Amino acid sequence: MDTTAPVFSVQGLWKVFGPKAERVPGDPELTALDPAELRERTGCTAAVRDVTFDVRKGEVFVVMGLSGSGKSTLVRCLTRLIEPTAGTIAIDGEDVRAMDRSRLRELRRHRAAMVFQHFGLLPHRTVLDNVAYGLEIQGMGKAERRERAAEVVAKVGLEGMEHRRPGQLSGGQRQRVGLARALAVDPEVLLFDEPFSALDPLIRRDMQEEVIRLHREEGRTMVFITHDLQEALRLGDRIALMRDGRVVQLGTPEEIVGAPADDYVREFVRDVPREQVMTVRTAMRSPSAGLDGSGPAVRPDATVSEAIEAVARAGAPARVMDRGRCVGMVDSDTLLGVVAGTEQPAPPGADQPKEAV
Amino acid sequence: MRVRTTAAVAAVSSLALLTGCGAADMTKQASPFANAQGAKTVTLSVQSWVGAQSNVAVAQYLLEHELGYRVDTVQVDEVPAWDALSQGRVDALLEDWGHPEQEQRYVKDKKTIARGGELGVTGHIGWYVPTYLAKQHPDITDWKNLNKYADLFRTPESGDKGQLMDGSPSYVTNDKALVKNLKLDYQVVFAGSEAAQITQIRQFAKEKKPFLTYWYSPQWLFEKVPMTEVKLPPYKEGCDADPEKVACAYPHTPLQKYLNADFAKKGGKAAAFLKKFTWTTEDQNEVSLMIAEQKMSPEEAAKKWVDSHESTWRQWLS
Amino acid sequence: MATLTANPPRLGLPGLLKNATVRKLLLLAVAAAVLVPLADARWASGSWPAALTVDLSGPLARTSDWIIDNRDSHPLFLYFFGHVSNVVVIAVRAVYLTLLAVGWAGVTALGALVAWRVAGVKLALGTAVAFLACGLLGMWVPTMQTLALMVVAVLASIVVGALLGLAAGLSDRMDRALRPVLDTMQVLPAFAYLLPVVLVFGIGVPAAVLATVVYAAPPMARLTSLGLRGADKEVLEAVESLGSTARQRLLTARIPLARRELLLGVNQTIMMALSMAVIAAVIGAGGLGDRVYQALASVDVGAALAAGIPIVLLAVVLDRVTGAAGEKLGAEPEPHSGRGWLYALAGVVAVAVAGRLAGRLDWPDAWVVGIAEPVNRAVDWMTAHLYSGVPVIGGTADWAGHFTTWVLDPVRDGLQALPWWAVLLVVAALAWVIGTWRTALTAVLAMAAIGVLGVWKPSLDTLSQVLAAVAVTLVVGFAVGIAAARSDRLERALRPVLDVFQTMPQFVYLIPVVALFGVGRAPAVAAAIVYALPAVVRITTQGLRQVDPAALEASGSLGATSWQQLRQVQLPLARPALLLAVNQGLVLVLAVVVIGGLVGGGALGYDVVFGLAQGDLATGLVAGAAIVCLGLMLDRVTQPTERRARKGA
Repeated sequence: MDTTAPVFSVQGLWKVFGPKAERVPGDPELTALDPAELRERTGCTAAVRDVTFDVRKGEVFVVMGLSGSGKSTLVRCLTRLIEPTAGTIAIDGEDVRAMDRSRLRELRRHRAAMVFQHFGLLPHRTVLDNVAYGLEIQGMGKAERRERAAEVVAKVGLEGMEHRRPGQLSGGQRQRVGLARALAVDPEVLLFDEPFSALDPLIRRDMQEEVIRLHREEGRTMVFITHDLQEALRLGDRIALMRDGRVVQLGTPEEIVGAPADDYVREFVRDVPREQVMTVRTAMRSPSAGLDGSGPAVRPDATVSEAIEAVARAGAPARVMDRGRCVGMVDSDTLLGVVAGTEQPAPPGADQPKEAV
Repeated sequence: MRVRTTAAVAAVSSLALLTGCGAADMTKQASPFANAQGAKTVTLSVQSWVGAQSNVAVAQYLLEHELGYRVDTVQVDEVPAWDALSQGRVDALLEDWGHPEQEQRYVKDKKTIARGGELGVTGHIGWYVPTYLAKQHPDITDWKNLNKYADLFRTPESGDKGQLMDGSPSYVTNDKALVKNLKLDYQVVFAGSEAAQITQIRQFAKEKKPFLTYWYSPQWLFEKVPMTEVKLPPYKEGCDADPEKVACAYPHTPLQKYLNADFAKKGGKAAAFLKKFTWTTEDQNEVSLMIAEQKMSPEEAAKKWVDSHESTWRQWLS
Repeated sequence: MATLTANPPRLGLPGLLKNATVRKLLLLAVAAAVLVPLADARWASGSWPAALTVDLSGPLARTSDWIIDNRDSHPLFLYFFGHVSNVVVIAVRAVYLTLLAVGWAGVTALGALVAWRVAGVKLALGTAVAFLACGLLGMWVPTMQTLALMVVAVLASIVVGALLGLAAGLSDRMDRALRPVLDTMQVLPAFAYLLPVVLVFGIGVPAAVLATVVYAAPPMARLTSLGLRGADKEVLEAVESLGSTARQRLLTARIPLARRELLLGVNQTIMMALSMAVIAAVIGAGGLGDRVYQALASVDVGAALAAGIPIVLLAVVLDRVTGAAGEKLGAEPEPHSGRGWLYALAGVVAVAVAGRLAGRLDWPDAWVVGIAEPVNRAVDWMTAHLYSGVPVIGGTADWAGHFTTWVLDPVRDGLQALPWWAVLLVVAALAWVIGTWRTALTAVLAMAAIGVLGVWKPSLDTLSQVLAAVAVTLVVGFAVGIAAARSDRLERALRPVLDVFQTMPQFVYLIPVVALFGVGRAPAVAAAIVYALPAVVRITTQGLRQVDPAALEASGSLGATSWQQLRQVQLPLARPALLLAVNQGLVLVLAVVVIGGLVGGGALGYDVVFGLAQGDLATGLVAGAAIVCLGLMLDRVTQPTERRARKGA
């Protein structure tokens, strides 16, 4: 377990829309109802129900779910763009829900910046002024903020377009502006609300790589909302999978794919090419006595598909080497088991129905 | 927060409006178009009928060319004109047909309007039929025979009754009461404006159709469409006191001029000139005809009259 | 109830039961069955029962007298209205003197250069030509007077409208309170606004400016609120997510995001102010409107036209320039726009100074071209040859006579013969079927208010004229609109004609119409038709053209003839637009039918004219209120689902 203090710490968070929403979270009878019943009984909709998670420093935390699962509401609750109904949110240990207006503005100005699905750009401003907007809000002088903005514009690859209007840009370019605007204020956390779902698949891929690059270069904490499982698996260090306002499973991509918490998750991850998500660490067996020093070596965090390649090339089981020490081995049987979904990782390993992938 | 901002804006703007914060008597505020470019300006009220336009045209011409004033004219109906005169938005009213109620209020009580003397023209309102019709049916000019001829005057507007055409609602009229009290089988149809009434009369006249209309003299239209008055029960002093029970003819009214009280005192040559301005019915009709019939501009018509009547207007300037 | 609604299928109307219309009508029928006998027993049928009227003439006359007597002494007038009026006078005067000081050359140059910067060379030329035309027609000074009045009135309307709009845009409570008021004010005839202001301010420029503001501010307020509310939610959220204060949000995001609506609001305000500036001549606005009004008094159509043309030119130029400014928003800014403005300003100053030095501030008299005479000759010819005795088709006077006898009279008599509760029922049924129970309730209450005011009969008379005029307008308007939608060439040819007819002051129509149709209700109806037709044609054409091309293509691919396409695809799909056309037609027709009081239309219009002319505010105000109610009722009865921001376009 990571020991550093979480950036965001969310506990028992509720967001209920509707008349007298505040009574719902506290009433055990009501919280037990499913969404349709709740609506019938109270006229309320619970978008976020009793959600708890931590976002650790430097990680990419993905919240994934289908539309209506409450993920967008959840991310807006983090900076109180939507006021939560119940629960606690802390940023670096400070209670967000207790913040007064000016403190909250401070949070939004400097500590958490958001990138939106439909970009949310100001159509009457140039690219440069859109990027500088957050700084303008903070009260920074014109020359200084433009200089800062120009740097960020270059960083997201929009040099030469500083004086265009958003209307003259393509979707991908617009989202780069949205990203630059968020980056310009140098926030502690970047919040992404389905930022790429309005883009074409190819451009989406480019943008995902851009985010990965930025994360690698700057190590900034990110909370990323998406409905696209591929995207979640690609970007996320950890994923919270939401359904009907609840987090149904929270874990690494590997845990989600390898050990779905329930049928819903299982159905969800069914089509995922497991060998690209699962790592050798979960697939390996303890090193058998007969294993000599020969055979290929793989790192424990290598994907199964990398291990398959190594095993296939060598025609022999591979050793799993962690800092020069052999911690386990994988052979073609174990690897095949992962691909087929028959091999269960050790910890949660309940009996799983065998199903073809 | 937002509401507070809005309230603050409202408060500040109303405060700004009241800066200076003294009393502002809007009855003493002149027209914004007056006295432009440093000229001394006189504002005259023009009523909608052409006779009044003639008065104003000649007065305007003389004020501008002989006395060096700039003249603004404003078209206002009769009763509101009294109000405007009282407020000084208009300096003078050259032709009034008698508004005792207003005279009481503004001249006697408030003293904001001063009498300007007689115009020299006598006005008379009455019911008229075209002369060609009067020749055909000589007895039509007595009100007692009107019912006999009601059929002649039928129009789609009046349905199965005869049509008595009235003009602008701004004119003094007792016609509805008269029709009722004299038990006439007629319907009063209001043309709504003098322009509409004249247009209609001329259309009728062109086709020699019969018509019965409220009309008044002096009026230039008599020159184009000769009309004969229908005799109503004779006018006696006070017979028109109760507007509901009127059953007599209209009086002959010497038309009056009125000036704003301040203007009358401080208006200098212009005020003196307007007080002396007086001419005859023929003079007025001459100018009216030029304006309305020959479609001359009021200014041209005034010039023409002024050029040929110097002896008349010289007296007004003395 | 349940048994009632279960009946229709057995009557052989399967499916109709589910039809909301039938349900509403049945419900209404039940309500009527209960209420009508009660009302009948209590107050009898026939015209509106006297027991249910309130005579307001006494109190109103007393109020009017009180105001006249206290206008120069009561603190309310001295410290509030007096200042308002004073500010207006000073402002108008300042603008007027400035315009005169700049001179005709300077004003023309200023107009052209502003148009050039905002809208390009073509409109700049148009603007210059328009100003020069005003001078050529001998209308320079009146044009400047109207312009001065307009500048002040428009600025005031924009400020007032924007503040109200801001309040409504930012606060839901304000919005709920203001929206119905603004919606209603937008459909009321300008004429109805005159009396209350005259009552307070007396005849003159302040009253004219304030009436104009009251008339022209609502569109600004509506569009401001609409723009603020219509802003992209996500942009606002993004702006909030960056930690902006409410003020920053308003200034940097909400207002800029609403700029298109704001500009449309300015455009609308200008157009409405201009149309009011003419009507306000009745209460002493002066300027061009006064010239039109004076010319009409001497039946001088030519002179009226000479004053009307500058109004049309001003309107078209202002409309196009503000419209072009709206279209230019969002385009790439020109690199040296600041310098361009500088050049423009320098040019204006140069021309103005040159004009001053040359001593040519006033428009030279020698350059005036008289158009009055040829126009009058044309009108005379028209009336001489068309009025009567035209072979086969008969003269216009005959048409007017037949129209009065065969259409207007039966409709009026029919309406007046209906028991009062039947009128209310019909109104309720129409409004409910087309709209919601809310619109139906408003409509019924408005109609009942007319009865309570004691002007039931004249109101029904006015209503009959409106109905007849609207019927003709719609038949002609739909026909022309359909034709224009099917032929680009026709539409292009119609456009300038429609523009001119729409902006020409209604007064200008009145006299030719009397010359053709005589005095009475027929000319009032004719003038109303001429005035309302352009809007109906335009909305119909637009509606038909906006029909989804895919639907047309689909029906075409199935082998539909173009007539079938029109009937089965275009017209049904354009239904909202057509309903809007009906609604606009009613509103515009009402506006002119009321003015028709000036040409013998009688009824409510006459009462208002009478009230203004005789200073009898009691009569005028009651009639004005009845017109307001009538307008409200007609609007609600045809309330389209989505009211468009633009009035009459």
